[in-house]
Amino acid sequence: MKKAYKKGFNLIETYPVKFPETVILVKYDGPVDNFSFSFPDKKVEHIIVNLCPTEPWALPNRVILRNATHDFLDKLEAVRTEYFPDSHCHVVVDHLESNLVNELTQFKTQKDWLSIHTMEAVYPYDAPVLIVKNILGLDIAFGQNTIEDGILILDPQNVTGIFEYYIKETEFNTRLIPISGTGLKDNKILKVKPGTPIKSMLELYVRTDIKYRVFLDGLLNGTEVKDLTQKIDWSTKNIIVIEERDYKTPFPYLNVNELLFTTSLMGELRRCVYCNFCDDICPVNLEPALYWHCYDRGEKHKARTYALEKCIECGLCSFSCPSKLELLQVIRECKSLK
Amino acid sequence: MKKTFKNIETILNKSLNSIETFIQSHPKVNFLFGALFEATDGLIRSTKNTAKNPPFIRSSMDVKQYMGGILAALFFGWVLPAIYFYGFMCVVPKLIVSFVVGVFVVDLIWVILAREERINEGGFVTCLFIPAFLPPQAPLWLIGVGAGISILFRNILGGVGHNLVNPALFGRLMLTICFPTMVVSGWQEPSIGIPTIKSLMYGVDAVTHATPLIAFKETGETASFFSLMFGANTGSLGETCRITLIITGIWLCVKRIANWRIPVAYLGSVFVISIIFSLMVGKTAAPPIFQLLSGGLIFAAFFMATDPITTTYSQAGKWIFGIGCGLITVVIRNFTSIPEGIMYAILLMNLLSVPIQSIIQKIKYRT
Repeated sequence: MKKAYKKGFNLIETYPVKFPETVILVKYDGPVDNFSFSFPDKKVEHIIVNLCPTEPWALPNRVILRNATHDFLDKLEAVRTEYFPDSHCHVVVDHLESNLVNELTQFKTQKDWLSIHTMEAVYPYDAPVLIVKNILGLDIAFGQNTIEDGILILDPQNVTGIFEYYIKETEFNTRLIPISGTGLKDNKILKVKPGTPIKSMLELYVRTDIKYRVFLDGLLNGTEVKDLTQKIDWSTKNIIVIEERDYKTPFPYLNVNELLFTTSLMGELRRCVYCNFCDDICPVNLEPALYWHCYDRGEKHKARTYALEKCIECGLCSFSCPSKLELLQVIRECKSLK
Repeated sequence: MKKTFKNIETILNKSLNSIETFIQSHPKVNFLFGALFEATDGLIRSTKNTAKNPPFIRSSMDVKQYMGGILAALFFGWVLPAIYFYGFMCVVPKLIVSFVVGVFVVDLIWVILAREERINEGGFVTCLFIPAFLPPQAPLWLIGVGAGISILFRNILGGVGHNLVNPALFGRLMLTICFPTMVVSGWQEPSIGIPTIKSLMYGVDAVTHATPLIAFKETGETASFFSLMFGANTGSLGETCRITLIITGIWLCVKRIANWRIPVAYLGSVFVISIIFSLMVGKTAAPPIFQLLSGGLIFAAFFMATDPITTTYSQAGKWIFGIGCGLITVVIRNFTSIPEGIMYAILLMNLLSVPIQSIIQKIKYRT
């Protein structure tokens, strides 16, 4: 059995998404947003830079590093000395990428402000709560801004952004956005000017023969884009377009692959059968079925007694539920009760 | 081959679609047969439903596959060995009667009357259990009555997901109450050695012999462990060939359909407790390995006790559940006049799992 199934889930193995080597520039002449980074007003003690994406549709780190890891680290050093002089940098990489780990350790020998951490690329280990706990051993609450504890989680693209825009004072107005999914002809990595509508980004690449739906920032806890004129901004991480399979498929148990990377529920809504899949997969050791039972009995307020505040809303419980219960939705509803 | 299959699929899909539109456009037809169509359609095709809330992709495991896994495990675990030991004509008619009465009569009438959306696959699992824990010479009507009671009882309590005790075991309990002699006699000798066509069809001549547990109660003899392991002894239809049951049971645990904690706790506690009893009372208590390999213990530990709905949800509670089952089983086997106590042990622990779950929840979250 895959080890990944225990506490967290290896999405990369289940949904292999391949990106091409090339990056394509999207032309857009309309108004664009300029790069801006809101520097925290609190003192930053730790900077965490995550180079280990745990979702297959996330931007692969080779696109950021471009075989020049030293360049990236030099930029990081410049950003650190300029803006966060007393902080310690933590760079997180996949433990399987031994070349990258070697390069980083070589670089590290001269620097004492840097430490390298390795991590398994298992979803959702890069969620702020878990990454801070794994690296610094600190417990932070979900939804809390990590700045309060003096921790800054820096997107690798923002490292380049701050370096280019604030230190070098050159023009920096594009962001790399990976687009992937079964609703596209090909997976692509696009260089987009934030401010570009999603529609004009996708129009060349979507399949026209099927229905599709567009999602922002991951399928598990991201959001759906209902209005395709919505604009890309500087926090957009990725775009996924997957097939909307809203018709019946005969013998689904024989055609699993056909249904796999689509919006299909892959089953019917049933009652909870107490199969323990949700608490086996939960990365923070909760028992999501308890919340569902509270909800089902109409006692939403009782859900809080079962450590609901620890939930990091990764969505894996709903993902793995064989009865297809909307556990994430139930958890969010219970949380929103005051 | 693949192409013809694809063609059949398309034709089936089209015809089911046209039936669906026909039913939905005629309200009267829909009232009578709508539920029935949805129920059968659900067994053949996937649903139209798509994810409306995050996460927008879902894993491919659903309840159908979950139940299908149990069905496959049961088929290789007891149906095939039983055909080898007792003959095709002994096993297959029982399965047919069980399925027809349980799923196609009782469950179907229930679906139409109660206007349920679908026939639940859980019924197939229950009906596959019924012949397994009755003697090989049990009459067909007994199987039918058992299957009918089980499914009816499960539906009355609210269907899969709400049943308090294992429906198949409840059916057997009713049979034990109503027909006490029928369920404890007719232990036919299995045919062993190289099978012939005749033995595979009809089994050997109907010689009956007491089961190892009854024999131990009466004479104090224990059967050889080898024969117990491979099924050369008398016993209920599904429980004798322990080796296949262990293999398929472990497969279920690896697939995470059955929770490994329960068989480990159950078998382990039977072993430990029977060692303690052997040391305390000497030869009147059955020796530990004989206890493990006799009766329906292996079958029950891997297939019946692990029914997720009737155990506790908490993982710690599953250990308590398993140990409790083991304790009650050994006590009933050694200190009462009933030779086999697994049914009572599991049914009792099913009921006790409700308070166990709530106590563990209270301790864990300190509410």
